[in-house]
Amino acid sequence: MLTDEQLLRELENRFKANKDSVLQLQKITAELQELNKKLEESEALKTHFISNITNEIINPFAAILGLSRNILDVKKEDWARVMAMVQLIHSEAFNLDFQLKNIFAAAKLEAGEFLPEIMNVDVNQLIKSMLDTFRYEAEKKKINLIYELEPIPGIQKSFYFLTDPEKLRIILSNLVSNAINFSFEAGDVEVKAWLKEDNLCLSVTDYGQGVSDANKKIIFDRFRRLDPGINSLNRGHGLGLSVNKAIIDLLDGTIELESEPGKKTTFTVCLPPGTENEHSSGFALDGNEFMFDSDDEQVF
Amino acid sequence: MEFQTHFLYPSTLFVSKEPFIVNTILGSCVAVCLYDPVMQIGGINHYMLPLWNGEGLASPKYGNIAIERLLEKMVAMGCNRSRIIAKVFGGGEVIDTQISQFHIGERNILIARQILKEQKISISGESVGGKNGRKIQFNTYTGAVLQKIIARQTPLSTQK
Repeated sequence: MLTDEQLLRELENRFKANKDSVLQLQKITAELQELNKKLEESEALKTHFISNITNEIINPFAAILGLSRNILDVKKEDWARVMAMVQLIHSEAFNLDFQLKNIFAAAKLEAGEFLPEIMNVDVNQLIKSMLDTFRYEAEKKKINLIYELEPIPGIQKSFYFLTDPEKLRIILSNLVSNAINFSFEAGDVEVKAWLKEDNLCLSVTDYGQGVSDANKKIIFDRFRRLDPGINSLNRGHGLGLSVNKAIIDLLDGTIELESEPGKKTTFTVCLPPGTENEHSSGFALDGNEFMFDSDDEQVF
Repeated sequence: MEFQTHFLYPSTLFVSKEPFIVNTILGSCVAVCLYDPVMQIGGINHYMLPLWNGEGLASPKYGNIAIERLLEKMVAMGCNRSRIIAKVFGGGEVIDTQISQFHIGERNILIARQILKEQKISISGESVGGKNGRKIQFNTYTGAVLQKIIARQTPLSTQK
């Protein structure tokens, strides 16, 4: 038999437990609603992307075709005019190529078919040649591209690191392209590379409009452009940083963003050295061949 | 029989008509192995988190995407859904935590069971949970999986 007091206490406990679970349910519901909103947004961005991409691909092609036809019509004595048109063609083709590479990278990443291909890469050379491809884009906005390799003892000009050159190039191109796009006219864009505890670190800094704290959270989402307006000066699909994030995850690295709105923005990427042979990768600790010969092996 | 080998990276998928030995290392990640015994085709994924929440790319880093996409790929290669069987590995709690939301391994296992059930695919074998990491070797031709437990002193950085 329960006394009245025990009964009351028991009831009180049960009411409290009930209240707690209602509160927890409310919290979970709120989380779910937020998640739902996010997925809806993502779907809307995707739809927007598809309509956008038509313009972004067809317009540059139309420009390239038109300009090259003009060049074909230029008379020999006017060849000086050709230079300007070739520059425009290069610029359009460059942007198109850049966007397409990102789109294909995103598609492969989403299919789970983007695999690291690790080799010994001359990082210094890779960064220099990558920056060289951006030279004309930078000149258009009178931007000063500065590259600095932190001196490594014993290493002067070439600087080798085990990583995937193609993916490193995509990561850097996306950061540099963004830095140029979001810089003000005649600003500086700084690229730095250094080694930190065997990891390769790279940073890209611009002195443009910066990223607000609210935007820092969503900047790596796919199809996300912080200024999606049709008159936005910044072209692109909002794929670059989401592609970067996924590639950096694949290479087991990190990406960090520091920004003071209106002053400067720095993206820092750190990558651990990869393992050269794809088949032995990840098994380096105790060697691949010893893997399944011990007694505690199980078969399923 | 000659087998080619493939190392499966986290967030990626692998399906092959050719006989392959696929190796991967799991910590709190989960790998779902699917196999069609008639076609003798096997496929495997390796996901890190249970659900895609709209952040970043919708890649097979997330269980819901990784399992559905793997199944689609198997079907596209001629496998029959009704014949496909599944084996599930991983989801260990390699990092101690008291906060239930951080029990990623457990949530990774749950999502595999839930989605496989929805897709009416039976789980013919599994080795999940626990405190240790796992090395697994999947034979895409026979559907057999070899597993070796990795003791905890292994540096965590090599386990996903």
